[in-house]
Amino acid sequence: MLLLQLLINGLQVGAIYALTAVGFSLVFGSTKIFHVAHGAAFTIAGYIFYMLTVKAGAHWLVGLAGSTVAVLAFGVLIDRLVYAPIERHEGSFFTVFVASLGVATIVQNLIGTMFGRGFVSVSTPLSKGVEVVQGVYVSPLVGISVVCGIGCFLALHLFLTRTHVGMALRALGENRDLVRAYGLNPRNLSTLALALGSLLVVPGAVIAAASSGLNPAIGAHVMLISIAATIVGGVGSLVGAACGGLLLGMAENLAHWGLASQWSEAITFVVLLLFIIFRPAGFFGSAIKT
Amino acid sequence: MLAYLVNLTTLVAINVILAVTLNFVIGYAGIFSLAHAAFFGIGAYAAAYVAMHFTTDFLACVAVAMVLTGLVSLALAMPALRVRGEYFVAASLGLQILAVTVFTEWKSVTGGIGGVVGIPSPTIFGRPIVGTTAFMVLALVCLAITLAIIAALVRSAFGRNLKAIRDSESAAGAFGKQVALIKTFSVVISSSLAAVAGALYAFYLSFINVESFTLDTSVLIMAMVIIGGAGTLAGPIIGAVLLLVLPSALSYLWFLPPTEIGSIQQILYGLALVLLMIFYPGGLAGALTRGAGKDRQGDREAGAVKA
Amino acid sequence: MTEKILLEIRGLSMRFGGLRAVDDVTMDLRAGIVTALVGPNGAGKTTLFNLITGHLAPTEGDVTWRGASLLGKPSWMIARNGIARSFQDLRLFTHMTVEENILTVMERSSWLWQPGGSSRRHAQRAKVEEILDAVGLADKREVRAIDLAYAERKFLSLARIMATDAEVWLLDEPASGLDRGSYERFCALLRAHVDRGITVCLIEHNLDIVISLSDRIAFLDQGRLLADGEPQSVLNDPHLSSIYFGERAA
Repeated sequence: MLLLQLLINGLQVGAIYALTAVGFSLVFGSTKIFHVAHGAAFTIAGYIFYMLTVKAGAHWLVGLAGSTVAVLAFGVLIDRLVYAPIERHEGSFFTVFVASLGVATIVQNLIGTMFGRGFVSVSTPLSKGVEVVQGVYVSPLVGISVVCGIGCFLALHLFLTRTHVGMALRALGENRDLVRAYGLNPRNLSTLALALGSLLVVPGAVIAAASSGLNPAIGAHVMLISIAATIVGGVGSLVGAACGGLLLGMAENLAHWGLASQWSEAITFVVLLLFIIFRPAGFFGSAIKT
Repeated sequence: MLAYLVNLTTLVAINVILAVTLNFVIGYAGIFSLAHAAFFGIGAYAAAYVAMHFTTDFLACVAVAMVLTGLVSLALAMPALRVRGEYFVAASLGLQILAVTVFTEWKSVTGGIGGVVGIPSPTIFGRPIVGTTAFMVLALVCLAITLAIIAALVRSAFGRNLKAIRDSESAAGAFGKQVALIKTFSVVISSSLAAVAGALYAFYLSFINVESFTLDTSVLIMAMVIIGGAGTLAGPIIGAVLLLVLPSALSYLWFLPPTEIGSIQQILYGLALVLLMIFYPGGLAGALTRGAGKDRQGDREAGAVKA
Repeated sequence: MTEKILLEIRGLSMRFGGLRAVDDVTMDLRAGIVTALVGPNGAGKTTLFNLITGHLAPTEGDVTWRGASLLGKPSWMIARNGIARSFQDLRLFTHMTVEENILTVMERSSWLWQPGGSSRRHAQRAKVEEILDAVGLADKREVRAIDLAYAERKFLSLARIMATDAEVWLLDEPASGLDRGSYERFCALLRAHVDRGITVCLIEHNLDIVISLSDRIAFLDQGRLLADGEPQSVLNDPHLSSIYFGERAA
């Protein structure tokens, strides 16, 4: 019974991780920007939702809209103000990575100063579990997470395969010059990738705020999960990143079977290291050697 | 005032060791590690454990700390450096987070959240090191040795191997360089020297807990290297001094709430990183030498005209 | 052609997805002569180099060096067997000085100490001087590779190869973009080394260079080896020149 409960919890967490990781993978795969500030977007989304719904007492839809606008602004601004000027003069992996890390540090500490360093959460009847089988509790949030995860992923997939701009975005990762040849500006596409990638954290952040809670350091955790899921799934594969996220969420929760909950992050690391040792290409990746 | 300076000098020395060793992998080998604070911590806990259970001999404690840290970094580097650079960033981030968990949870060795309390004073050849001044001298000696080792390595054939790999990994391979082996070796050297800083830190405060070895510390050390200028010998020293003096400067600003100084500091580091990457990716030392380099070139041209 | 065969390529293929970059190529590199790899862009010439030097693993076929297979060996090991290469985009050690670029190629050990002690070091220094003089970079020794002019970079790329003890040089467009003077200096250098027994395989688009330098031409198109023989017979083949010049004109 405990196993079933852990599987259900794993599904909820995994769906959130999957969606968040897909956001990171989308940005990294198409723009080659190692966007470690992706975790910061997650923190912003969660805290804006918390601020609007709990502090200001607004309707949850207002909170959702607020955090959507906030992360969109974050994605666009970080691309225009930070990544674009760096790429104009050199844009080495390292320079972009450090700048992104700088942004992540700023956001984490700003949030810490404004909201305190402890856990905050949004209480909702949706997170209350209902006993379905004896000893197994399922809250409506599990369903919401899974539906959101699948829905957003399908929407993204349709966008990337059916629309002109979406296809251009996919081509960006393969060949920048090709994109230019089709009369599209790689810089604008890059901004779009950042905006879309950031948008994908919203469901996860809101559900996290309503279930396990938020703290300012959650960004670092999200960052690790996103990077790990991208590698586990295979760099450049969105489906891979989603599977990777799901696997990590499951592994983290199944680990509760034998280990204390503090070790969940350690599980992520062990899974990541196992993949790096035995299957560095991930589930769906190909080229990994330098 | 003197006591304050002695204290600051000791802390600067410890942090310069950290920055210089991290710069060895970032600036010369082109490997981006987010686990430097973890190595610092492993060194500190190992030295504390040896000092409390076996011997207070400083050299013995440092030796154990270095070997243990070296082994952990080897376990990380061997798999993670065979593949692309991003993998090492990810793996080192993972190790850093894992290390914090272990530091917090392995209560019999690390004392959990409360940390290790009452680490005895070290001895060197049976002679106890007591007092802050004696300790400052010890820290400065360790710093000097570390600097000498790093400077010698950078100028040696090994340093050229590293720089060649940093500049073009594929070309280095095509000229017979064992890229993965050389990179792994550099990570092990850097981490085991960071353990020296850990041992010094544990003995100096006689108390350590997990808060000194978190991801924030890793980012702080990285900020020291980058703000100072990666890939230069002077850069990380400038960076470490600058970032350590900053908090004391901030504490003079009366209008800042004292409880938030830590966060404000971090925000300033973050801001400095972002702005430097946009405007001076070479860091402060890079910006300075670039200016000097231009002058030198100017001189050379002037000389040529004269000749 | 009676020269000894150093490197044998047997049925070598490389596919990227559906694209056959190199398709069932069989050829030899013979000791002491210059072989030119010729063909339109995208013919698979650089890919062939990458397969020989272990930068890529072939999907089929084998490469043998003095009878022993090189397949599956890492590039550093292949390099130490005596095969040196240059890159089309040079890949110099950009932030190292000219002198360091040359010196580091001679320092073979991966460990902290180089074998041989001070006598070896002196010999290396002397060789660095000799190479610097030969390529005309003696007064630029302290300049970082990134700060060199274009032709100087090309010569540094060649200097790195001269610093190895390699018997086979694989040169990827070594003379492209050189002015007349530099070009002649390059040809003289290459000739001098070939006379000393170095085996050269070079990729080149300029047919004048190919004719004046090479003893043998291998013609590649769309990954396939279409001809392999004396320069005149290959260049006079009307079918090959239509492929070559047709592509050039387009």
